[in-house]
Amino acid sequence: MRCNFCEWRCELGNGSPGVCRMYVEEGGVIRERFPYRWSSCIPSRVESVPFYHAWPGSRCLVIGTAGCNFRCRYCSNSFVAKQDPAMVQDGMIELTPPQLIRKAKQLGCHSIVFNVNEPAVSLPSLLELAVEARAAGMPMGCLTNAYTTEESTELLGTVFSFFNIGLKGLSDAFNRDYIGIPSAEPVLRNIRRLAALGHVEVTTPVIESANDGELEEIARFLADVDPEIPWHVFRLLPEDEMKEARYPNIDAIAGALEKIRGYLPHVYFHNFVGSDWVNTLCPGCGATVIERFSLGCGGDRLRSFDCRGNECPSCGRKIRLHGEKVPWNAGEVLP
Amino acid sequence: MSLAIIDAREWQRVFDLRTGAGVEEINPLLKMVMDIQARRPYPGDLDDAGNRWVTDTALDLIAGYDPSLVYLTYARQFFVGRYSVLTESEWAGMVSSVFEEVNRFVARSGFTPVIVGTGGMIPFVDFIDVTRLDGLVLSTHWSARYAGLHDGSRRDLQGLAALPEIERIVPRHEFRSLFGEYPGDDSRIPEYLLVARPGHMFRTVGGAFRKVRRVPAPAYAIPLAAESGVASSITDIRRLVVESLRERKIALIVVEGLGMDDFPWPHQRCENGRGWFYYEPGDAQYLTLTTGRHQVFEYPTGYKYFDEDAEKKEYPLSGYFTSVPADTIASGLGVRSVAVGNRSMLMHMAPGADISIECFARNLFNQGTMAVIHRMDKK
Repeated sequence: MRCNFCEWRCELGNGSPGVCRMYVEEGGVIRERFPYRWSSCIPSRVESVPFYHAWPGSRCLVIGTAGCNFRCRYCSNSFVAKQDPAMVQDGMIELTPPQLIRKAKQLGCHSIVFNVNEPAVSLPSLLELAVEARAAGMPMGCLTNAYTTEESTELLGTVFSFFNIGLKGLSDAFNRDYIGIPSAEPVLRNIRRLAALGHVEVTTPVIESANDGELEEIARFLADVDPEIPWHVFRLLPEDEMKEARYPNIDAIAGALEKIRGYLPHVYFHNFVGSDWVNTLCPGCGATVIERFSLGCGGDRLRSFDCRGNECPSCGRKIRLHGEKVPWNAGEVLP
Repeated sequence: MSLAIIDAREWQRVFDLRTGAGVEEINPLLKMVMDIQARRPYPGDLDDAGNRWVTDTALDLIAGYDPSLVYLTYARQFFVGRYSVLTESEWAGMVSSVFEEVNRFVARSGFTPVIVGTGGMIPFVDFIDVTRLDGLVLSTHWSARYAGLHDGSRRDLQGLAALPEIERIVPRHEFRSLFGEYPGDDSRIPEYLLVARPGHMFRTVGGAFRKVRRVPAPAYAIPLAAESGVASSITDIRRLVVESLRERKIALIVVEGLGMDDFPWPHQRCENGRGWFYYEPGDAQYLTLTTGRHQVFEYPTGYKYFDEDAEKKEYPLSGYFTSVPADTIASGLGVRSVAVGNRSMLMHMAPGADISIECFARNLFNQGTMAVIHRMDKK
């Protein structure tokens, strides 16, 4: 029986758990192996996920599970995303969706954001969680690699209202060698679809001599989908199989991104401490409308929010925002 | 104004440590520190060269600044021990390797060492799952033995009391009174402090996921190696160092993860807490060492650190710290001081040295180094 949650469309049966090792076939049904088991359950700034244009300033509950359908060579979370999920279950937090929502409220969280690994590997649990979150008036967002099938992309669209999609690179060679997938075509298709369904930001890690030559092509693609898509270009933090890799040169990448801002205004360059390129500038007049401080993978933070509602205070142009500014200690959204 | 210099490899920026605002002006002292950072990229918390980096960086800083007091932390063995499966001989090799670094530092610098172990490590036994209580349990700053309970119900307390893995449940007033009158704001102290039995660790929401292999061992006493005098308590080490400084240059060297049993040099026994409470490696232990007073309640285990993380929080590069601790060992000295270590945040906060250089690592992710210059007016 085929699993149709992601584009691998693994044949499950005879105990085979597929690429992500998170599903099995039982009695003609695809079942989650480890439902309601979370590797992370931690309050965090929404900017640190990163979401720069969704619910600015808010506190979210970052959750994750185990396993992934990608095999990124530089994975920062390989200790949970690339391990056999069965081997890490002893460290998991087991909470049903109602229990998780209760903890999110106790922690003063405004939203729930799935991070750490890929949500498509835990979709049934997330569908249930979404029902509880909706009842509690709590928005849900996620980081996803968007390597989902068309049908499960629609499911993602029912679970989450804001997305940060990892577009790692365009060429088949890069995707084969660094990510372990044959092509980015499904990801590109799903970026278009999810941008129609909800709020989308995109993240691309830059690896010198691997995908740094594709930055302009990626930017053109994103501008074609929606020129106001926020794009987070990440300086690679060499981890996992790439621990020995060179840290990419910041000035060179910053220079390459400068001209892209002419047609894709919300380009950010970070994932290193103290980045100069984390503020939102009004695409109309160039005024700084949202200031942030970058702590690298330690998490970015809001420093000041100067929009009037969702408008530039200088020229009145609309600034792309999903939701409004939320005070850090505001707690959860009430229904 | 304290200045922070971030080195993210081939890229440096200077900030006001308190506000996070960028600073453009580079003076010769800043330049000297920035050059050291550029020369000495941090290899990583788990990297073989992590402790060598401490020695090399400290020697460079001594050559450039000529201090009389050096504060060092060697922490690699603590990180590796916590997250790696190690045989006894591998652990022994790691202990031997850190003391080779200590020896190298002492031999090359000529400083008189005062060496403190922060307590040993024992194999992790099991989690105590406290995620499904009515109340909220938090454990902070890598603590294994302690967690704070907030808004716990009667049912929670009854359930916890029945768990054999829990050594004691301490109400806030009892915890506070253990250390006498606490003059500060006690709103950070959880309603109950939960204390785990050795080898156990609380599984809480709010914790980050990595597979733990070892946790701090019971450490009612910690080892102190000092030829220059005697200190019977962790609160007495500061006095010993300050007195010794009158006659010679002193290096206060903190070696993480080593206790009375595995400390290889001749050592004294030094009390590491009070009553049933002992310090685990972390800010409370460091601040107690450097202020000479128990510092249990400044950032107590299990407090709601995230409530203080609003956008206007000061010291954005200093983690949960909301101010520079007062009256630390080096902050009031007339002599020059430096601090170097691979324990991020604590090096620029705990000793109060004129200049510090530390790794900028969070949850083992290596993001470079940070130097902090608290003052540059000493002759």
